[in-house]
Amino acid sequence: MSLPCGIRNHSYAQDMAIVRTRTQWGMMLGFLVLLFTAPLYLSSYWLGVFNFIGISIIAATGLNILTGFCGQLSIGHAGFIAVGAYTSGILTTRFELPFLVGLICAGLMAGLIGIIFGLPSIRVKGFYLAITTIAAQFIIMWVIQQWDWTGGQLGMTVPFASIGGYAFRSGQSQFYLIFVITVLCVFLAKNLVRTRVGRAFIAIRDNDLAAEVMGVNLTYYKLLAFFIGCFLAGIAGSLFAHWNISLTPEQFSFKDSILYVGIIIIGGLGTSVGPILGVLFIRLLKEVLTIYLVPFLENTLTMLPSGFASGVTPMLFGLVIVLFLILEPRGIAHRWNLFKASYRLWPFSY
Amino acid sequence: MKTNKLIISVIVCLILVIASLPYITGCGADREGKTIKLGISTPSTGVAAEKGRPLEHGQKDAIAYVNAELGGVDGYQIEIVWRDNGYDAAQMSNIVRNFMDEGCVMFSTSSSAMMTASMGLANEYGFAGLAAFSSPNLYRPPQHIYGQLPDYGDDFLAFMDYYLDEIWQGSGQPKVAIHALNNSTGKGAINAARAFADEMGITILWDGAEGKAFEHKADTISEMESLTRINALNPDVLYISSTPAPTALIVKNARELNMDVVIASGHAGFTSKLVELAEEDANNVYGVFPTASWGDDVPGMAKLMEYCEANHPEDAGNGDYITGWAQSLIMMKIVETAIKNVGYDALATGDENAWAYLENEGIKKLVNYDVNGLHGPVSYTVSDNRLSKSVRVFQVQNGVIVALTDWIEAPVVQYENFDWFGQ
Repeated sequence: MSLPCGIRNHSYAQDMAIVRTRTQWGMMLGFLVLLFTAPLYLSSYWLGVFNFIGISIIAATGLNILTGFCGQLSIGHAGFIAVGAYTSGILTTRFELPFLVGLICAGLMAGLIGIIFGLPSIRVKGFYLAITTIAAQFIIMWVIQQWDWTGGQLGMTVPFASIGGYAFRSGQSQFYLIFVITVLCVFLAKNLVRTRVGRAFIAIRDNDLAAEVMGVNLTYYKLLAFFIGCFLAGIAGSLFAHWNISLTPEQFSFKDSILYVGIIIIGGLGTSVGPILGVLFIRLLKEVLTIYLVPFLENTLTMLPSGFASGVTPMLFGLVIVLFLILEPRGIAHRWNLFKASYRLWPFSY
Repeated sequence: MKTNKLIISVIVCLILVIASLPYITGCGADREGKTIKLGISTPSTGVAAEKGRPLEHGQKDAIAYVNAELGGVDGYQIEIVWRDNGYDAAQMSNIVRNFMDEGCVMFSTSSSAMMTASMGLANEYGFAGLAAFSSPNLYRPPQHIYGQLPDYGDDFLAFMDYYLDEIWQGSGQPKVAIHALNNSTGKGAINAARAFADEMGITILWDGAEGKAFEHKADTISEMESLTRINALNPDVLYISSTPAPTALIVKNARELNMDVVIASGHAGFTSKLVELAEEDANNVYGVFPTASWGDDVPGMAKLMEYCEANHPEDAGNGDYITGWAQSLIMMKIVETAIKNVGYDALATGDENAWAYLENEGIKKLVNYDVNGLHGPVSYTVSDNRLSKSVRVFQVQNGVIVALTDWIEAPVVQYENFDWFGQ
């Protein structure tokens, strides 16, 4: 990794550190202070938006490990999130187990289901694997819709998350719960890809035949990628369930699965910061279009029939994404790295 | 010094004059600038946009009419906080949070599916919601969600009563196949069929296990396969509980298969949009709808048509525009009732206390509000959160929706007493 001008490593530990310079430590602490004081200046609506962003970051991070780092294309991620959501919902309502047990079991159950649907990855890859993960989405949702315990098509109501008798009812408390777990998950993912496991994932993504020749056990690592990716999806699902408290199958649509693939592509495939930037971009774009642009257009262009602007939103949403992919196909993470590089070089141009 | 004193005196006088202006200009001025906020969410984009847009237009136009021509509700202007939900259930809880955050006193959704996705939060916080189209799961058992109209279960029961009395001439029990949208819209009809089939003397053709109807998705593009299976069971009635686009598709597919059945639709799908989409195939389709027909001689129709013609001529003839308009009238009547009982200030806070006041002193005090004749009278009855309780049976005849019956009262059904309810 490149370093700012005048900084060099003197030990392996320094070389491996994620945060190295005082400036980086200062910026990271500043960011964390900004993040964890956000409930003080965000309205409850925007807290809700950011809570959803936090949940989405966990899910996208899982997909990024699976698809971005290990190269296993999955288009059934919303189905795995649903597994986590309903597992946690059922455990905390029918069995009255604590939220934390539900959270962990949600991750494990989604991970196990992920392994089952990941089995075809041993034999197939690319578009063929994508088709099998699409099947996962439909099979999972069909089971959820037909099963009595999930409430079928009508869904189920889930209690707010609670730990040690404290219920996370308010937007502020939910924010802290979600973002503590989000930071942990991102940290875990960031470190994972720097380990032997992560290097194996990258080797499989870049050339699975070469990886196998080098001694990487393809079956093991591919299924491990499915487990970890879907584990994080399950954690996200559990948080979604106890934040939203109403679960219906329609909240985990095929469209959402595709959106998650879009998020990691826009954010930057195979980068740790990509899922964060992708989620922020997509979720905030949608909010800005819905909350600000549509009412603005309705109030400004009064000569047009009322309601016309509601059709503009999906068009602009699609247009911005297409333009983004054309102008920056390597994702926002690449742009972010260029931005950082320019500051690292400062004050020297070359 | 004298000049300074003069200037100060003039400024003080001006301030006093300006401050006393509201009192000088007469009564009602104290209400100027004071508003009550209502949260409205419609699926104006997405797979149910053909329903969402006219509903949105109707709701907004009714509020514009009351604000502009009636001076608001009890002198207070109604402010709309509108959010398009795109028929995306994942968005709904945040939209409800937005309404609560903005200080709305209550909120509405058009569809039962979107209300299903938001009812957890609404019930948790005691934030009353009104669903134009509803399913029993929203308020059985009753909490803080209300139905503007009778639900999809009531539709099915009303139509089957009509069918048995007026159409069925065979021997034995008529066989009924239900084609249901795979969410609460379809589930309402399934619940009613499951609860009352034996009592009514009809046989339901389940798709396998009892309680499992033939299903479709909102974005379905062909139902030939499911209809072929239904056709093999020789049904007498094909009952569709869905939104207009899938209903039209199913009707067209059924005609292509030359199915010899009576086709009927619940009120979510039975609008002029169905006739527009299914064209001549829609002829002879029966339907249940809970509002007056376009152009009926009822007190509220002239103003409604005037606004529709001026603002949204494309919605002319659409029953959903009427439903949306009526929904806003009901919400404003609830606000008016609550203001009379507890005063503006109690509601203006838009917080949990205001929500409780609105529900207890507004919704629960509604008695026989006639909605300007646009649909059955609206009353709150203990343990029944459906505010209007009457429907009518219609039929498409030569491309025109014609009323076949007068208002039919839909009795309350306590679905929660059935073991299978909610599963």
